[in-house]
Amino acid sequence: MISVQSVCKTYNEGRPSALTALDGIDLEIARNALTVFKGPSGSGKTTLLSIISCMARPTSGRVLIDGRMVSGLPERFLTLERRRTFGFVFQRFNLIRGLSVLENVLLPATPLGGERRADAKRALARLEMLGIAGKAGERVEFLSGGEAQRAAIARALINDPPVLIADEPTANLDTELAHRFLDIVSGLRAEGRTVIMTSHDPRIWAADQVDRVVSMRDGRLEENEA
Amino acid sequence: MTSWLRRQRALAEYTLAALARRRIKNTGLLLIYAMVIFVVASATLFATALRKEAEVVLAEAPEVIIQNLVMGRHDLIPGDVIAEIDGIRGVASIKGRLWGYFYDRLNGANYTLMVPLDPAMAPPAGQAIIGESLPRVREMPWETAPLFLSRTPGDLVRFDIAKRLSSDSALVSTDLILLNEANFRAFFELPEDVYTDIALSIRNPREIDTIVEKIGRLLPNARLVTRDEIARTYQKLFSWREGIMVLLAGASVLAFVIFAAEKASGLSAEETREIGILKAIGWDTGDVIAMKLWEGGLVSFGAFLLGTVLAYLHVFAFDAGLFASVLKGWSVIYPDFALTPGIDGLQLTALFFLTVLPYMAATIVPIWRAATADPDQVMR
Amino acid sequence: MILQTPILALLLASALASAVALWAAWFGIRLLQHWDLASGSQRQLDLERRTELVSTLFGFVMLIEIAALFLLVFNADRMAALFVGAMCAVGTFNVNGWGFPALYLKITLFFAAALWLILDRVDRLGRDFPLTRLKFATILGIAPLVLAGFATELAFFLNMKTDVITSCCSKLFTPSNEGFAAEMTGLARAHALWLLGAAGGAVLVSGAAIVLRKRGERLFALAGAAFFFAALTAIVSVISLYVYDHPNHHCPFCLLKREYGYFGYALYVPLFAGTALALATGLLKTVANSDSLAGVQPKAIRHLTRLSLAGFALFGIAVLWSIATSQLILFG
Ligand SMILES: Nc1ncnc2c1ncn2[C@@H]1O[C@H](COP(=O)(O)OP(=O)(O)O)[C@@H](O)[C@H]1O
Ligand SMILES: [Mg+2]
Repeated sequence: MISVQSVCKTYNEGRPSALTALDGIDLEIARNALTVFKGPSGSGKTTLLSIISCMARPTSGRVLIDGRMVSGLPERFLTLERRRTFGFVFQRFNLIRGLSVLENVLLPATPLGGERRADAKRALARLEMLGIAGKAGERVEFLSGGEAQRAAIARALINDPPVLIADEPTANLDTELAHRFLDIVSGLRAEGRTVIMTSHDPRIWAADQVDRVVSMRDGRLEENEA
Repeated sequence: MTSWLRRQRALAEYTLAALARRRIKNTGLLLIYAMVIFVVASATLFATALRKEAEVVLAEAPEVIIQNLVMGRHDLIPGDVIAEIDGIRGVASIKGRLWGYFYDRLNGANYTLMVPLDPAMAPPAGQAIIGESLPRVREMPWETAPLFLSRTPGDLVRFDIAKRLSSDSALVSTDLILLNEANFRAFFELPEDVYTDIALSIRNPREIDTIVEKIGRLLPNARLVTRDEIARTYQKLFSWREGIMVLLAGASVLAFVIFAAEKASGLSAEETREIGILKAIGWDTGDVIAMKLWEGGLVSFGAFLLGTVLAYLHVFAFDAGLFASVLKGWSVIYPDFALTPGIDGLQLTALFFLTVLPYMAATIVPIWRAATADPDQVMR
Repeated sequence: MILQTPILALLLASALASAVALWAAWFGIRLLQHWDLASGSQRQLDLERRTELVSTLFGFVMLIEIAALFLLVFNADRMAALFVGAMCAVGTFNVNGWGFPALYLKITLFFAAALWLILDRVDRLGRDFPLTRLKFATILGIAPLVLAGFATELAFFLNMKTDVITSCCSKLFTPSNEGFAAEMTGLARAHALWLLGAAGGAVLVSGAAIVLRKRGERLFALAGAAFFFAALTAIVSVISLYVYDHPNHHCPFCLLKREYGYFGYALYVPLFAGTALALATGLLKTVANSDSLAGVQPKAIRHLTRLSLAGFALFGIAVLWSIATSQLILFG
């Protein structure tokens, strides 16, 4: 469903500090699969993830989603594409402090002009499914790490995106919570979603729920494991 | 359309929730902003009310006044002029007026002494009708206490008070003392058949110019003052003072703008991070700008409302206590009258332009800076 | 004279507008030089982001200019009390040689602003910045207007002297005079109404053609412009008479006074809006033809046409209302 064709990304192009983070990546990502990018720190996993998910534009090369070219779009339409297709879970969860769990979960739906009450209902149903409906009214500062991550997952899913993107989702979690996370993710896959995540966590690569591990080094792909 | 409305409402709701989190900081900003608007709005409302007041007073003034000039200065005018002018077509009525100023050595105030044009209005002999600030500046102990005026040391003339003028007769009547003609002439030792000036009323306003021209030919030494001229002078006087006030207030607007720009450009690390998060989870630059504009709009609108309402109360309920003396006073007596409350759309619009535009201008570039942050930066 | 709140507000607005216009023009030049959609370079990215800011800011300025036109006229009307011989806004604008140029510039700016705002709206709907170059090229044309507007306004307000005797509207709008205004006044009343009716018919027919048949956009724009001038002529020559209930009072500005219930605004606001929208349909038909707007352009044009027709209809209703409620009988 997502096709990456000879994508390069150079930061600080034309300056002495120029750095090529991605160097000619070719990759096909299958629908309804759980794909993991692995590799040492600095190998370009996050950069690749951000280009796939329309967060950043490649310096050269093309990205296609369901056959649609997205790499040349103006920012505004890139954003449209992104919020239609992707939901995000970040390493540091990135919840907005001072707002309640429910308010945080509703944030991606805020600028869309949907029916407010329906949005809230969906959010609550998702929180229920993740087992933190009781915390919906609580401020996010008071959540534990596992609860915060589940709030972040609920937020990522509020607009019902077909693809979930997660950058180092288990880096801040203990083993038990990491497994819980994988369970949640495979549940999402059962709902028909595609999941793409990065990790340098061996617990993840080894898990049975993972369909494919893509290994990276110095901005290039190393090998693909089935 | 409904989706557009829902989007705006959702953005506004988010903005309110976000503003509520930094309550103290935002309330402070709102209060400072409201204060600036309060000053400008007070000046504007007050001057507008004064202008209206003057209009009301002038509506009853005669269309043309004839004054005698001697050596270029206003002098008494002989009564036989009245008969001369009476023949001119278009003059509805013509009357000699008696009025003068009296300097009160007791307290340094100036009073206007006058004989009412309408004889039926004149007080009986030995009595006076007084303006409403007189009892106050003369500290009259009781309601019917007589008024004593002293022309020279040792001299004392007594008038009983026939009536006090009510407060709604406004600015110009506040220092007034009305006498009957005989008392007036006796008090100032005037000969019979001279007047201070002559008042004409003219039926058709379009004929004023021709009539003035004719009288000018008859009485080459006289000065002719039309009501429109007086009205213009008033208007200019008030507008000019208002402008000065607004300009002064403009300085404070400027200071505030710098402050606002500073605040907006130095968005705290926390706020920058939040905008980054919003962009990462799918907000567009335009969404962030719209949200920030809501923020600016809510703050501006709140401050504008608060500042204007306070100014309204200040001017109309508390008689513009803070700077009445700047805008009004031309005499030692400060009129103690309540202005007729009124709001003028033009002034309000102008006020809005003067206060909200600079704020918008000052904040929009910093807002855009924050809104164009790269969405992927929160992943680092 | 300049120290009056509305004048200060107008000058402030114009000064801000000029600053933004200058900056936007400077950016426009850079954009026209370096714009290259195919490139993913940082410069292009920066340009794209900056167009967002400049468009937003310039859009604000255009909105302000539209509001300022009304403030200018309203204030001129109010200031008439200060000048010898002035009865309404005409006297104020006539106080010196700058008044009417300032007014005409503001009116031109009103139309330019409306068209530019519509271009901007449509540009944002296309995926490849379809009108961005054009938008910024237009800014290069509008910016001098903004500056000239500011300059004339400043000259107008700085040179106001209350002791100058100005001429009131009855001197300007009288058939016995020379000049354009007099000619409009002198046009036979029936002719003026026929002209207005004909232009209205043309607007209706070409508008219907767009809505039903999706054609005739440029014709509609032309008809709209014709209607605008026919309407102004009719206002001066007949409609004002009905509003004033007076067979010889032709002034198009006294209509804006409180004495006449601010009726002028009920005429001018829909007329100006309708005309601007009609012009916009022709403009969009001419320039917005890129592939990325293929789905957007016809819809936008029809939407604008409907709004424009609504504006003209409101104007028509106001006219009929003024005739129906008038005591004056001119025909019959
Ligand atoms: N915004 C940026 N500017 C400059 N260099 C960057 C930026 N983002 C990432 N990099 C560099 O690009 C390389 C790849 O980074 P990243 O994709 O974050 O790797 P990973 O996620 O595998 O740790 C690193 O060397 C990093 O320092
Ligand atoms: Mg990383």
